[in-house]
Amino acid sequence: MKRIKWSRLYIALVLIILYIPIFYLVYYSFSSGQNMDRFGHFTWVHYQELLADSRLLAIFLETILLALLSSLVATLIGTLGAIAVSQIKNKKIKQLLLTLNNVLMVSPDVIIGASFLIFFTALGIGLGFGSVLLSHIAFSIPIVVLMVLPRLNEFDYSLVDAARDLGASNWQVFSKIMLPGITPGILSGFFMALTYSLDDFAVTFFVTGNGFTTLSVEIYSRARQGINLEINALSTIMFILVMIIVIGYYFISSRSGKKGGRLL
Amino acid sequence: MSNIIKLEHVKKQYDDGFVALKDINITIESGKFYSLLGPSGSGKTTILRIIAGFSEPTEGRVLFDGQDITHLDASKRQLNTVFQNYALFPHMNVYDNVAFGLQLKKKEKNEIKKAVKDALHMVQLDGFANREIAELSGGQQQRVAIARALVNEPKVLLLDESLSALDKRLRKDMQFELREIQKKLGITFIFVTHDQEEALAMSDEIFVLNEGKIQQSGSPVDIYDEPVNDFVARFIGDSNILNGRMVKDFEVEFGNHTFECADAGIKPGERVEVVLRPEDLDITSVDKGKLHVRVESQLFLGDHFEIKAIDTDENEWLIHSTNSTKVGKEVGLYFDPEDIHVMRFGESEAEFDKRLESYEGGD
Repeated sequence: MKRIKWSRLYIALVLIILYIPIFYLVYYSFSSGQNMDRFGHFTWVHYQELLADSRLLAIFLETILLALLSSLVATLIGTLGAIAVSQIKNKKIKQLLLTLNNVLMVSPDVIIGASFLIFFTALGIGLGFGSVLLSHIAFSIPIVVLMVLPRLNEFDYSLVDAARDLGASNWQVFSKIMLPGITPGILSGFFMALTYSLDDFAVTFFVTGNGFTTLSVEIYSRARQGINLEINALSTIMFILVMIIVIGYYFISSRSGKKGGRLL
Repeated sequence: MSNIIKLEHVKKQYDDGFVALKDINITIESGKFYSLLGPSGSGKTTILRIIAGFSEPTEGRVLFDGQDITHLDASKRQLNTVFQNYALFPHMNVYDNVAFGLQLKKKEKNEIKKAVKDALHMVQLDGFANREIAELSGGQQQRVAIARALVNEPKVLLLDESLSALDKRLRKDMQFELREIQKKLGITFIFVTHDQEEALAMSDEIFVLNEGKIQQSGSPVDIYDEPVNDFVARFIGDSNILNGRMVKDFEVEFGNHTFECADAGIKPGERVEVVLRPEDLDITSVDKGKLHVRVESQLFLGDHFEIKAIDTDENEWLIHSTNSTKVGKEVGLYFDPEDIHVMRFGESEAEFDKRLESYEGGD
């Protein structure tokens, strides 16, 4: 009994330490005054400022648009790539491709960002929304491949034979049998790509130009001039948004679990 | 009866050089229950996959209703398959699984509904339409798989080791039911199995396969009573196989004795193998027996005793008897001339049939 209590205490402590900075941020978003030295009194003023700050809101929307677009395209390319990799019979080539995929996952963002910058300038591609989108798609593809591949490896290929036996064309086999089978992997790949894109700073910082910036880059440049509590308000909103998405995803996946693997 | 499927000189070699099938020639008549029987790796599933269209032969032709379908896509063949692991679509319920084939054919909704209902009725799963696959037992999944195949009204149903995952009792029930369904629908069933009892119980005709070759084909009784070689004799049922020598027509020598037998057409003095089925051996007193043996062990197997005995020349004999005996007892073994089956070394099925005809034809 006692041991269980200690372990619970430990987990609670870890969680508290991890969440304290976030709650600290959230707490001061309601404080009057211009810095986080001292809590003034409760106020919505920073939220009102945020709503009035059309530049920040535009960046916020653009960031989300960028994340959605890049993760959609990356999911499409990554899923097709994973299918291609899973069909390779030669084990050495398969392993080589997977290793190349994983190297992209683990190499530092700075190096990836710098290489994209060199690449784009060498090709004469202007820096801006397009270059950021391309690089986000590029670094999201390996994540999607990694999330979809296990599903494909688990996939029971006798189902493909069964569908063909019942008269399904190649496209029908893919759309009616294979796709539903790997959908959970595709969805988690998409969500992972989404969070990677939302959260990326280093790569974006390299490849973004004058006209375009994402939230993380904007927050960084504002923070260099001293923290503005408007950022706290924005962070709070984003934190709550992410919480809602996570809870929603949890409910969707637990419901699909009950229905015997049927998703959505 | 008309031929529905014909395999002509079918050979299958895989990319790694392994030859799975060597010159297979099979004719399947419509309306019969066939079994492809053999140990694992004998090529039986390869034949099924070639007929179904999941795999193409390296050489040879596959004919369906007289048409060459060797390179026709599986989706366009008028036959359906019940898979070993059932291969039911896990993201669909029972109804959608069974309706899958008909929906692809763009049949009318009401028509599909009725057909699915009838198919589920046939496999005794009325009221299961809305169940999820994961909620079903192995036996129920098996039935759904059969319904999903039969609802398309195929001319031939292929079954790949379809009963092997079921427990013994359920398997027996399903054997009986499958046979009933086959008779009722009057379509051809081709059943792949490694279980000789299953094949004997269900089939009109059995193809015994080993190492990519058809060893023997025929009715269950033919194959059991007159195995063409020692592989078939050992694979189908238990048997006592001894080396012997043909003395003359209708007389064979083994175990240092000469016995009257029912085989002929083999030249005198030729070395042969002799098969005696354990259930054809009767235990009697020493003086009435044709052979003198000592009982070594006895096992009670429920419906019979399995007795092992050793004769005076140290040959081991397996005997199935409904009566028990005593271990260590000296007894006699009696058998009729027809119980002795003589096999020549390296005789093919065709040669065997020809020889049989030569001396039985005059009857």
